[in-house]
Amino acid sequence: MIAKQRVLTDEIVAEIKSLFPRYPTKQAVTLPALHVVNEKLRYVPLEAVVKIAELLELAPAVVQDTLSFYGMFKQAGPHGKVRAWVCRSISCALRGGDEILDHLCHQAGIKPGETTADGALTLEFAECLGACEYAPCMLAGKTLHKNLTNESADAFLKEAVGK
Amino acid sequence: MQKSEPVLLANVGKPESWTLRVYEANGGYQGMRKVFKEMSPVQTTEMVKASGLRGRGGAGFPTGLKWTFLPKDHPGPIYMCINADESEPGTFNNRILMEDDPHQVLEGIIISCYATRATTAYLYLRYEYPLCWDRLQAAIDECYTKNFLGKNILGSEFSLDIFLHRGAAAYICGEETGLIESLEGKRAWPRIKPPFPAVEGAFRKPTVVNNIETVACVTHIANRGVDWFKSMGVPPDPKNPRDAGSYGPKLYCLSGHVNKPGCYEGPLGITCRELIDEFGGGIWKNRKGKAAIPGGISMGLLTEPEFDTKLDFNALGKVGCLGLGTAAVVVMDETVSMVDFLHNSCRFFQHESCGQCTPCREGTAWALRMLNRIKAGKGRLKDLDLLLEIGDSIGIIPGTTICGLADGAAWPIKNAIRKFRSEFEDYIKRTNPGGYAVTEPVPALVQLQAH
Amino acid sequence: MAIVIVDGHQIELADHERLNGIQAAERVGVDIPHYCWHPGLTVVASCRMCLVETGTRNAETGAITMVPKLVPACQTPAKDGTVFVTDSDAVKKARAQVEEALLIDHPIDCPICDKAGECYLQDYHFEHGQPERRADIRPFTSATRDMGDTVKLFVDRCVMCSRCVRFCREITGTSELLVINRGSAEEIDVFPGYPLANKLSGCVVDLCPVGALGDKDFLYKQRVWYMKQHAGVCAGCSTGCSIDIDENQDTVYRLKPRENMFVNKWWMCDEGRYGYKHLHSPDRKFEPRRKIAVSGNGKFSSTTAGEFENIDWSQIPTELAGRLQTVCAEGNGRLAAVVSPNLTVEEAYLLCKMARKFDPQAVLALGPVPVVGEDETFPGKFIIHAEKCPNRKGVEEVLAHFCSGQIKSFDELLEDLPSGRIKAAWVSGGYSHSHWCDDTAAQQFAALELLIVQDMFASPLWNVAHYQLPGAGFAERAGSYVNFAHRLQSFTWAIRPPAGVWVEGHLYWTILGMRGLYNARKVLDEVAAEIIAFSAAADAIPPVGIDLRINQLAGAIS
Repeated sequence: MIAKQRVLTDEIVAEIKSLFPRYPTKQAVTLPALHVVNEKLRYVPLEAVVKIAELLELAPAVVQDTLSFYGMFKQAGPHGKVRAWVCRSISCALRGGDEILDHLCHQAGIKPGETTADGALTLEFAECLGACEYAPCMLAGKTLHKNLTNESADAFLKEAVGK
Repeated sequence: MQKSEPVLLANVGKPESWTLRVYEANGGYQGMRKVFKEMSPVQTTEMVKASGLRGRGGAGFPTGLKWTFLPKDHPGPIYMCINADESEPGTFNNRILMEDDPHQVLEGIIISCYATRATTAYLYLRYEYPLCWDRLQAAIDECYTKNFLGKNILGSEFSLDIFLHRGAAAYICGEETGLIESLEGKRAWPRIKPPFPAVEGAFRKPTVVNNIETVACVTHIANRGVDWFKSMGVPPDPKNPRDAGSYGPKLYCLSGHVNKPGCYEGPLGITCRELIDEFGGGIWKNRKGKAAIPGGISMGLLTEPEFDTKLDFNALGKVGCLGLGTAAVVVMDETVSMVDFLHNSCRFFQHESCGQCTPCREGTAWALRMLNRIKAGKGRLKDLDLLLEIGDSIGIIPGTTICGLADGAAWPIKNAIRKFRSEFEDYIKRTNPGGYAVTEPVPALVQLQAH
Repeated sequence: MAIVIVDGHQIELADHERLNGIQAAERVGVDIPHYCWHPGLTVVASCRMCLVETGTRNAETGAITMVPKLVPACQTPAKDGTVFVTDSDAVKKARAQVEEALLIDHPIDCPICDKAGECYLQDYHFEHGQPERRADIRPFTSATRDMGDTVKLFVDRCVMCSRCVRFCREITGTSELLVINRGSAEEIDVFPGYPLANKLSGCVVDLCPVGALGDKDFLYKQRVWYMKQHAGVCAGCSTGCSIDIDENQDTVYRLKPRENMFVNKWWMCDEGRYGYKHLHSPDRKFEPRRKIAVSGNGKFSSTTAGEFENIDWSQIPTELAGRLQTVCAEGNGRLAAVVSPNLTVEEAYLLCKMARKFDPQAVLALGPVPVVGEDETFPGKFIIHAEKCPNRKGVEEVLAHFCSGQIKSFDELLEDLPSGRIKAAWVSGGYSHSHWCDDTAAQQFAALELLIVQDMFASPLWNVAHYQLPGAGFAERAGSYVNFAHRLQSFTWAIRPPAGVWVEGHLYWTILGMRGLYNARKVLDEVAAEIIAFSAAADAIPPVGIDLRINQLAGAIS
């Protein structure tokens, strides 16, 4: 059974509700609501899914269905303070993207999708980030890191996790 | 070749080009004002239809024609969805437009909604473009302040809201009905057609889905006219009554093994080689080119001799590619292994297949597993035949799938193996000397590592 | 009228008919294979198994123009001039490819999978599939997942047809099932803490074309090829769902809904589905017994303690006839018959006829009508009724005929009993449990000179009866029920009752001296001739039953 603890703050609930007027159905607020929660909590636990479903007048299964389709919302626990997406699509791969990801994973000691033990950094692979002119690149939070090299990747890691 | 003055990229590079102040100082929103003042919605649609503008999102469907599919006297609401889910590998022109000239896009949206009588526009923006989000939202806010959006725009009877809707890292949300399903809050499984979105789309109402670059073109058609638009590009092939021509300026994304990767504006119809050499500074590191993706990875591959193919809606089909797609050219030099290329492609499509229909869901996974095995040195020649069979059978063109993702998955397989067969065979024979000739099923490869 | 051509055969569709390619092909006996399409659910066209070639035929020139690609037959409407080709090489190849695709990751569990013998994947593989496996060989997992109290999921057998998910969203409106993940990693699941618990949950197992969803009640109990299937009608409530009863050697293993567009469409509720267990309960009575007479004159003392002796069925008709004659000889209105709403129309008729034969003024009353809760209607328009018996309407029509419109209820009969006028009662039961009448009611009957009770289980009334006659369950009867909407459905028995049980109708038939074996159809002929309300039943009853009101004259019974 899911614990009945409260995970969504009043602020989060208010923000979700503020989106209702934009759409003709409440169900359309599903993805925006998932983003609101994910931004604040860095994950969307099952309890949050239940609450979102309640606000949107949907069965929890329906919200979970949508959530799990996208694969980017973690549910077991929050992702790192920094979530770094390293592109692995063709343009970046042609300029060493796969190798940079391997390097970062090796240096940070985690696999793609995992978070460092101190909760500072999550590494992910991404499909084409749409910045191919700066390949290989990585999106960390809101910052696009361009023309990555092992050196610049190391510099990023140092800042992110102090390694 | 003669390089014309950029129009779509005119403001890119100017300081604070994304602000209303700079946009209007450079002549922005004149087109919109003209349309409101002088034209009816029907006339606006006719104008876009006459221009021959074809969608820039990948399918190349004539935009004005798509707008005429909307029911004529519908009580509304009519929705417009702007497809900013740009996820086709190699493509980044929408990003640049939204980051550096969002008002150009918004003006095009406003004109398009005026023409189609849409009263709400959802701009579906991919998750991976946070800077675009901030700049677009700021630009939208500026528009509301100046009554370019909201109720009774500039004193007309036309009202419009634009809302940004964030995606969540799924390529299939770039498919028009996948986008609509995602917008409605469901998993992005594309819909069967009919009904078409123009008749029954978002929230079961008439809906038009247009790409960012497409609506940016609408801005300029309104501003400079149909004749200007048609003065660029490639007229229809007189021998082909179904050819709608390839008119207007185009943003080409160039990346991969070139000296100057970037987004370049040119007329439709320049060749791939011209793009590489005259815009892109040629192949990097003094190497030779080997292959190039012509329009985003879904379109397949050009061999080096085929670099002389025109990049328009017509010519690429003749060399076995799927089409122009997003006009994103990714160049591979002579050191690239086609096995690696195809593995990367199959990995992408397996990851992004929505999973709804059997041939794509299972076919993309099967193809990846075969490429994994081939790359790991356990390939068979028979695998190439099986891959081709998958490539030839899945897709909306043969009718075996619901949407075109499967065709996008199939074309790289078909082009890579057919155009570079000997390379694949050599690789397989070289890396699996003992097993390449086996035709019986072999044990699957168990992958131990990574992604 | 529309002319549609399927594989060169022409069929005519009426103007109002809205059929797709699969349904049109059915009309010419062509089975287009399909997984995800179901007539009761929205069309998703995702399995791609029903791909066919289609085109249009120009009515004037006769020229046929085919569309250059394959289309799913499930989403192609059969309109005037539509041409379907289902047997071309392109179609066959496409089917083989879909089959192969589904089998790549499908664990070949047939030897341990319940669905074997009624599995679409198996059947289509034999008819349409590739002869050999071409994909890599990998060990299969056999993960299971609990969906709820009634359904278990064998995760990797799923072919992602999404029928089960659509059912829960569209028909029950409960949306418990979901799809998780994307692409080839997709699986069916439930949200933790929100199991599959709607009242029609068993239907998802019917819908599942493969052995992914298993009915926990039926799992591993019986191989389908050992079972015989009989068309029946559920006796759980007055909805009267058409069902199929699957049995082997007179043991019922499961009930399944049978398509009836007039009653239950394709569905049935769990209560009905699992409501056959009582047929094989160890508490069931199968020994006819008579209370031991204390006094020498053969009469039963009302204070006799409960000592019973077994009697033989061969004696019973004559003995009972004799007893009844004796009691009724002393005057009219001394015999009461309680006609259970679990009896068929034919049985009810024969019971009334028999009672009135002995006593022209026999009091005829309707047996207790069990009501539990409220009627429940689901978004897919399926109704579970609160009235938990199958034939109240039918029995009432029969009683109305015999009693000139005055239908006496069981409670009204109980009020009559203390007056002492009624001396004997024949009570029919057929209830699936023991508590359909309480001790107080039983004591009322205990004072009678002669109490005959036919039932399946011991009850307070059974315990005070002078003759305890084991009766039949619904799957053992042949006859007709009339549901809440006046639809009469006929059925034959699916299993024989346990030795020692005579089906009620058989006993009445014998006592009435009718010749030969019990023949429900013959009785129905008589009922249709004698009772106007049943006049529509004079003709053969189709499998979906008939609406009795079709022939209703104005002002007749509602």
